[in-house]
Amino acid sequence: MREITYAEAIREALREEMIKDPNVVLIGEDIAAYGGAFKITDNLLREFGPERVRDTPISEAAIVGAAIGASLMGVRPIAEIMYMDFLPICLEQICNQAAKMRFMSGGQLRVSIVIRTQYSLGRAHGAQHSQFVPSWLLQVAGVRVVLPSTPYDAKGLLITAMRDGNPVIYIESSLLYRVKGPVPENEYTLPFGKTDVKREGSHVTVVAISRMVREAMAAAEMLEEQGISAEVLDPRTIQPLDIETIVNSVRKTGRLAIAEDDSKTGGVGAEIAASIAERAIDYLDAPIVRIAAPDMPIPFSPSLEQEYMPNKQRIVEAVRSLLE
Amino acid sequence: MLGLTEIQSIKAQDYAKLGFEKERLVWMLKKMIEIRLFEERVEELYLMRGLITGPAHLYFGEEAVAVGVMSGLDPNDYVISGHRGHGHALAKEISEKLIMAELFGKSTGTCKGLGGSMHVGICPEKNSLFASAIVGSGIPIASGVGLALKYKKSDRVVVVFFGDGATNTGAFHEGINLAAIWKLPVIFVCENNKYAIGMKVENAVATNSIAVRATAYGIHGILVDGNDPVAVHKATKQAINIARSGGGPTLIECRTYRQKGHGVYDKAPYRPKEEVEEWLKKDPIINFEKKLTSSRIVSEEEADRLKSEVLSAIDEAVKFAQESSVLPFQELGKLVYS
Amino acid sequence: MYEVIVPRLDPAMKTGKIVEWLKNEGDQVRKGEALLVVEGEKTTFEVEAPGEGVLRKKLFESGADVQVPAVIGFVGRLDEQLPTVEVAVTAPSALPPIKKVEEAPPRIIERRAEGFRASPLARKLAEEHAIDLATIKGTGPDGRVLKEDVLLAVEERRARVRAPSVTLTEWFKGPRIAKSIPLSGIRRTVAERLSYSFRTAVPAIITMDVDMENLIRLRENMKTTINTDLSLTAFMVKAVAIALEAHAILNSALERDEIKIFGEINIALAINTPEGLVAPVVRDANKKTVQEISNTIHQLTEKAMQKKLDLQELLGGTFTISNLGPYGVEIFAPIINPPQSAIMGIGTTEKRLIILNENVVMKHIAALSLVFDHRVVDGVPAAEFLREVKRLLEEPHTLVA
Repeated sequence: MREITYAEAIREALREEMIKDPNVVLIGEDIAAYGGAFKITDNLLREFGPERVRDTPISEAAIVGAAIGASLMGVRPIAEIMYMDFLPICLEQICNQAAKMRFMSGGQLRVSIVIRTQYSLGRAHGAQHSQFVPSWLLQVAGVRVVLPSTPYDAKGLLITAMRDGNPVIYIESSLLYRVKGPVPENEYTLPFGKTDVKREGSHVTVVAISRMVREAMAAAEMLEEQGISAEVLDPRTIQPLDIETIVNSVRKTGRLAIAEDDSKTGGVGAEIAASIAERAIDYLDAPIVRIAAPDMPIPFSPSLEQEYMPNKQRIVEAVRSLLE
Repeated sequence: MLGLTEIQSIKAQDYAKLGFEKERLVWMLKKMIEIRLFEERVEELYLMRGLITGPAHLYFGEEAVAVGVMSGLDPNDYVISGHRGHGHALAKEISEKLIMAELFGKSTGTCKGLGGSMHVGICPEKNSLFASAIVGSGIPIASGVGLALKYKKSDRVVVVFFGDGATNTGAFHEGINLAAIWKLPVIFVCENNKYAIGMKVENAVATNSIAVRATAYGIHGILVDGNDPVAVHKATKQAINIARSGGGPTLIECRTYRQKGHGVYDKAPYRPKEEVEEWLKKDPIINFEKKLTSSRIVSEEEADRLKSEVLSAIDEAVKFAQESSVLPFQELGKLVYS
Repeated sequence: MYEVIVPRLDPAMKTGKIVEWLKNEGDQVRKGEALLVVEGEKTTFEVEAPGEGVLRKKLFESGADVQVPAVIGFVGRLDEQLPTVEVAVTAPSALPPIKKVEEAPPRIIERRAEGFRASPLARKLAEEHAIDLATIKGTGPDGRVLKEDVLLAVEERRARVRAPSVTLTEWFKGPRIAKSIPLSGIRRTVAERLSYSFRTAVPAIITMDVDMENLIRLRENMKTTINTDLSLTAFMVKAVAIALEAHAILNSALERDEIKIFGEINIALAINTPEGLVAPVVRDANKKTVQEISNTIHQLTEKAMQKKLDLQELLGGTFTISNLGPYGVEIFAPIINPPQSAIMGIGTTEKRLIILNENVVMKHIAALSLVFDHRVVDGVPAAEFLREVKRLLEEPHTLVA
């Protein structure tokens, strides 16, 4: 199977859906002339024209608000919020409007939009350009939250996102943009709410999201050499979250570690840990451990940032602590 | 077309010249009466009967704006409203029964009882697309609707209603700017009723008018007497023409007054008594009715008949709402995601 | 007729007190004229006449407290009839009443002892096996009891039995004791396990004779042609394993009130060591060839003799075979190895005269004795199983095919 990068996979998904349906429109800052801050939408302006690939001013609230309004009229907008750190500016439109319009209207309205965003943790961009905060969106009933970790997952999940019929927050990891992986040529979709078993194992379950999936896989290799068999699970979507697959894995292994780039307190791991404690307490032979970032703003200095970030070594140490 | 125009109150003798026939004028009067009597009944249900609870931001004194704008629009044009939306909903021909049931929280309401007073105007089949409870948030959404309309090469327009307070939010700025740069067919109608809860507009806005802000975005602004439905209709028509000819959005400032408090429980003691009395004299319904009866377009008996028709329809609506049931809780889960 | 109402001026307001009426019954009033003064929880305010007319009735006097909103009077024409005064003091509530659910007092579960640690999985297993957690030594951090610890304790308990309360010498008062061999190590375990089995299982025995001619010949052939010496026991293990595949009820354990059919066929072999009897296990015997089984038996026997067997090799047996043939025993009733449901004994192979097709012939015959736990297995299934074992041994080429 051919191998393409995570970025190319995303671009392909956008492009193929735009070819399929003239109602798909992209809006965001610098996505047209500049080709996207991370070159994801490169050349799409040339192919589809300025009506369908629109540069906006720096107006996050208007970007999301306009996407909502356009979707009420049957247009299918894919909005880009350049950095996840900018999400608070349009959080009002996401949380108060998009997330609730269906419910508040008694089911009359349907907001079918995708908000693509990315996090740049690991690129020394400082506290205001590096944040990964998916659990903010977990608390808001009414939005879907998607976290692809491989090129294969990225393309399949994005196509599903564009067709889901709900407001979808699609969070990319910019450190994964250049990572290559196998992606089929023909069209395929991946379902929301299906945790992917990335690696089978028997001694410990490691649940990881986004960039940490790769770290977890690397950690599993390291653990294998030490005679520890780790099962790596990637939820892919945290809303909806397929907790059953995680429960079944914990039943098998008796141990759970969660690896995430967000900060520990109130992070995604907290939700998963609580759910597992509720449903599978009798199968736990050890406490649940989270490998997450510390509760502090992200330091700029590159070596300090590296220390801040969770990594495969920390996963290995955490897993070993469960077994000794 | 850039710049600012002002449309003052229009004399009754000019109605015929401007193409306003009796049928339209009677519709306007009846609608305004309907809104006023509806709001009176809602106030009674809250305070006197204790049958409805929650917030309610009543439209007393602003009827001419909703009615004038809807009169200028085609029924196929779209509307987005805000928290003070009962008047817009009624003027867009959403049934009183559905609105009343929504206020009572019943499953027969426009939003199945899940939205409440601030969202009664959500009725896509009447092209009333959305009503936001967050001040200003409907503005960027309206720009999105405009974007879709232009993208689909439709000749329809979208109107978004908001108050003077909303014009200071970030959402107002971002939304209008977007519509301006992309020349979207959006009509931004600001109902300047002089107060944002207790904040006087003069203390919140440094310019003499809100309409003048249009020039900052490179779009046309219209300042109109918001207590004259015919003037408001005229202003709306101007904005529609600009939109349809590719001229993009317009900002219309309707000068009017909020006769009662911000919400149904607010007695508005922060307003000077003289100011309130001065504006009560300019009551849009009393004055419009006077214009119509004195120029014999409508007789007093006809006017009275309109009132009793409206009252019995409102009675029906209350009865309907009281007899309807509440959505069972188990049904709610299905309405979060589609 | 107009109702005079004391309004609910804010959602939290519950009552209002009529401070004073400003008008009397019979007074003419204009619309909007102040009729009375009311003191609410936060403010004092006036209530105005809702319309023009005569104040016909006051339902409450000054000083009265009313729940708001409340109808407290009527204004109307003198010729109008007053509405019947069954006025609700409270307006019908807009909200449905909250149902009160009668709850039984909660059962309070005793808190576990301070400082005691066990993993949730360990607790679950301890409960399932009805073993007291407090008696288990924990090997986890801070002495936490883990799954492994519970399982080990369960294994140990299986064999433990209460000793009688009176000593032998007290009971007998003689004879003289020549030698005292402490019951330790393997001997002790054997004694404990067999006692347990004897006390709980309900053993029944059936025996069958097996014509060993074909098997003897096959073994000879293999020795001469391919220089392979496969032990009799290896063939027995294979035959039993195959037969168990079709007769799984004999490959089971009774646990409280469930018969658990094993998913593996692990044949334990009773081996006599200088220290006593041990039963190491040939795992997945049905999936091994006779050659592999033979090799495994050799390894296990050697280790047993050298006391080098580890726990893994002793655990997990699902069926046991005991071969007393080399000692000349013909038929015997071995004791079932708990928690298994059956054990098969192999008797000595000897030449016997039998009647075959109306003729007297001499054949090598060995007796198989099957002891089974009648709580789990009935006679007929046991017989069918043993018959299958016999058939396989009498057609041994099927075992090495």
